[in-house]
Parts: sequence; structure tokens; C-alpha cells
Amino acid sequence: MREAINIGSVDDIDEGEALVIPAEDNGTKDDIAVFHAEDGNFYAINDECTHETASLADGWIEGTEVECPVHAAKFCLKSGAALCLPATVAARTYKIEVQDGDLLLYPDTPVV
Amino acid sequence: MLPPLMDINSILIIGGGLSGFTVAQNLRTRGYDGTLGIVDPDGIPYDRPPLSKAYLLGQKDAGGIALAPESWYTQHDVEIITGTARELLLAESKGPDAQGIGVRLTDDRELYADRIVLALGGQARTLPIEGGDLDSVLVLRDRADADKLRSKLHPGTHLAIIGAGLIGAEVASAALKLGATVSLIDPIDPPLIPAVGQELARKLHDMHTPAGITTVQGTPARISCAQGMHTVELVDGTLITAHEVLVGIGMVPNTSMAQVAGLETDHGIIVDEHQRTSDSHIYAVGDASRTRTTTGELLRRAEHWEYAMNTGATAAASLSNQELPQHGASWFWSDRHGVHVEGVGEMNAQGTTILRFIDDSPVAAFRLGEHGKLVGAAAIDGGLTIRAARRIIDRGIIVDPVALADPNIPLKKLAR
Repeated sequence: MREAINIGSVDDIDEGEALVIPAEDNGTKDDIAVFHAEDGNFYAINDECTHETASLADGWIEGTEVECPVHAAKFCLKSGAALCLPATVAARTYKIEVQDGDLLLYPDTPVV
Repeated sequence: MLPPLMDINSILIIGGGLSGFTVAQNLRTRGYDGTLGIVDPDGIPYDRPPLSKAYLLGQKDAGGIALAPESWYTQHDVEIITGTARELLLAESKGPDAQGIGVRLTDDRELYADRIVLALGGQARTLPIEGGDLDSVLVLRDRADADKLRSKLHPGTHLAIIGAGLIGAEVASAALKLGATVSLIDPIDPPLIPAVGQELARKLHDMHTPAGITTVQGTPARISCAQGMHTVELVDGTLITAHEVLVGIGMVPNTSMAQVAGLETDHGIIVDEHQRTSDSHIYAVGDASRTRTTTGELLRRAEHWEYAMNTGATAAASLSNQELPQHGASWFWSDRHGVHVEGVGEMNAQGTTILRFIDDSPVAAFRLGEHGKLVGAAAIDGGLTIRAARRIIDRGIIVDPVALADPNIPLKKLAR
């Protein structure tokens, strides 16, 4: 079980924006996107859309959802669930914690 | 007055494309727990956009383009009935001994249900010229068409494509990757102006030649086939010789079954804003449906992917006796030569176009209608721009044309 990774200050990601933690930095085989959602909270899911090659961090963040910038599949940031076609497979989720103003990413701990 | 959901115990969907699948998926999400079946000759529903791209290239197989895995149908108790419907059975529902409405399949099986949803799609349009109906002339609508096309494309194959719109351009791009030589023929140069506007249409069409495609402006007059080679003769006498010919000039909606049954049709099966046909027990969705609004306006039929999904969602909501979903401006995408094109709204609406340039090349076009309202947008590799434009259109936000033209201002800022 890997330790949590400190990925920086909460101030590094504006609300409605996202940051990619590349696979080589997070220790998993996947790039992880960390979102600052419009509910004020932070969420982390796999960056690559489960439909086709696209970075969800580059997508449209609204409320607690992200819409893929290529084919408009929507994912729930809280659960990773695919909310509409063309995606049919959920995105993997990762636990995120805020501690002393820093963001801690748990690459081995799914939220759901 | 339709009976509430509890009186609907069986729903049969005819056609397993995106619209038919969406009806089934949304019905289950909305809580419908009665009998539910999808009739389709191809069995398990699959997604069609990859047929001219990843599937054609062999990057995705049949399983990879399924709209849901086979297990989903078991889990959600949706029966897949492999077969082809040929006749709607309506008479029975009129008499006192009504046994519901139904369909007869080509193998003479009869299936009955309380409600029927027609998701019939369409056929590839054929060229009304000599040789336009040759069996050897290829089209691309379904998976079997894609398999056939793929089996013909090898290094050295010369493919002539008639129609340089979305499917024509996508197949041209994929065929090049498979080593084929491609001639792309269209009477209009550049095509796609109504979809993306003049400037982006020009830029997209101009990408074909450097990629290695021969573009030809002309109108086909005759197609012939001799000794394994096809010849396309244009009206101006030009002859184009190729191993294979693919025609991609649009589609014709499958309305005949509805028409024979006496449902109202007019270049599409006429539906109301609930997707109900002129028989309120029968719904129609997707490519073959055409909406007449409550004010009596007959809308243009749409043929894009999202329209199929949206009309399926509307029918499912109506069948569930729930509030109808609101759908925003229409949206489409296309992929060719490594670029991703998207359009939203109406680029051919009355108005003026504002362009956004990067390195002297247009990357996005915005159509402003009355009172400076955004009515359409198109972009090359600009997914977020289109997502923002869509919200600006749907919310009626008035944006500064100077900001629209400025590539340094993310459109997202203007949409909030």
C-alpha cells in the first residue's frame, strides 16, 4: 500500500480547474486528474476518458461532473460513474484529503 | 389520454441503434420494470461513429464498439431479439378483442406489446445515375458495411469516394492509413459549409491534398465495372478509375413500414414533442423520426449521433410519464487526418461570422444572429470552445464579438 502523495497546495488548482498527476509521479499505471469542483471540494479520477483517448482534466467541469472535451461523455467526479454515452465504463476514483492546506492523493484507495 | 406507466406492461423497441438502445437504457433508469425487448438484425446494439474510424482501422473490434456489454442486458432484463421487422400490426388494437399492437418479422414471428418504439434508422442514399445501384458499389451504414469495406482496403487499393462530407472525409483519412490510394469526389468545393461555415470548411477540405488524397470537384454521371475495376465518369467527361467505389452522400430514413401501417410520414415518421407518432401507442426516435412542434412547425430531420440519443431519452421519459428532458443546441463531431472537428447550433443561420485565428489559420468560427446572439459555432481541435459555445447558445448569453475573436480569451470565461 503506497503512502499518500502530497501534490501541493489547495491554491494550486482554481475552482473549476483540474491538474494531472502523471503516472510516473503517482506510482500507478495511469495518469490521475485532480479536480477542484464547483462544490468547492477536490476529487480525483483517472485522467483518460474510458471511451477513447482524451484527457478529462481538459474537460468541462460543472458542478461535480466533468464532460469529456472530445465526445462529451460525462463522469461523476464523486463516484467516477459514466453518466451518459458514449462512455459506458466508470472512471477509477482515488481518495483525496486536504491537510494543512495541502492536497493528499491516495493512489491505492478508491473512493467507491 | 394515455394510461399512466403502471398500465404499460410491455414495450418493444424496433431497431438497436443508438436511439433504440437509449430508449431501453433510459426506461430502466427511470424505473420501468415491465417487459422490454429490442429487435435488431445485428443483435447486441453497437455504436456507429467508429465504423468510419477506429473500427475500420481495426483499432476497435465488435466488442469494443458495443453500447453496453452483453451482461448489461441480462442485468437489466432487456431481451435482444435478433430479427428484422417487416410489418406493423395495428388492426388488432382497434377491435374489442384487442391483443395489443405488434410487429411481424421477416421469419413470420409475431411479437406484441403495449407500446412500440420505432428506431428504424435509414439506408445509405444511392446515386440516381447509371451504375449507382451496382452491387459492387460500397456504402457505410452498419457493421457489415464496415467489414466489407475493410476487407477491400489493402496497400495499393485505389478507392474512389463520392461525397466529401463527414463520412467521405473520415473514410478517406482511414483508407490512407490502411495504405490505399484515395480519390475524393464532390460537386461542391468545399463541402460542409452549412455545418462549419466557409472558412473552416475550406481549411478542412484543404487538408486532404497534403495528406495524399486526390480531391476532384465534379458531379458523377455514370459508374461502370469491368474486369474488377470501376470507372466513375463525371458530367464533364472526366474518368476516374478505381478498384472500389464508396458512395457517402447521406441517408434515406426508413419510413416505409410506418407508412404502410398508416402512420403519418413526411420524409420521416412524424412525431410530436414526446416522440409519439400519429398513433399514440407507437413512438419513433432517431434518424427516421421528424418532429412537428405543438405550434405545427415541421422541423428538419436531424441525423447526428446526439440527436439519436436525445430523442431516445425523450421517448423514455414520455413512456415513463415523467417530465421531458430539455435538449440544447444540436452538436456533432468528426475526426480526420488527426484533427477533431466539432460543431454546435446553426452555422448556416442568418447572421455574421466571427473567426478566431491561431498562426493566421482559422481554428474556430462563431455565427452571430439577431441582436448579436450566438446561434452556432464550429472549431477544429477546440472541444472546450464548443462546450462553452453550447452553453452560451443555450443560455442566450450575449458575448462581445471582440472577445470571441481573441484566441487568448478562453470561451469558458465568456460562458459563466
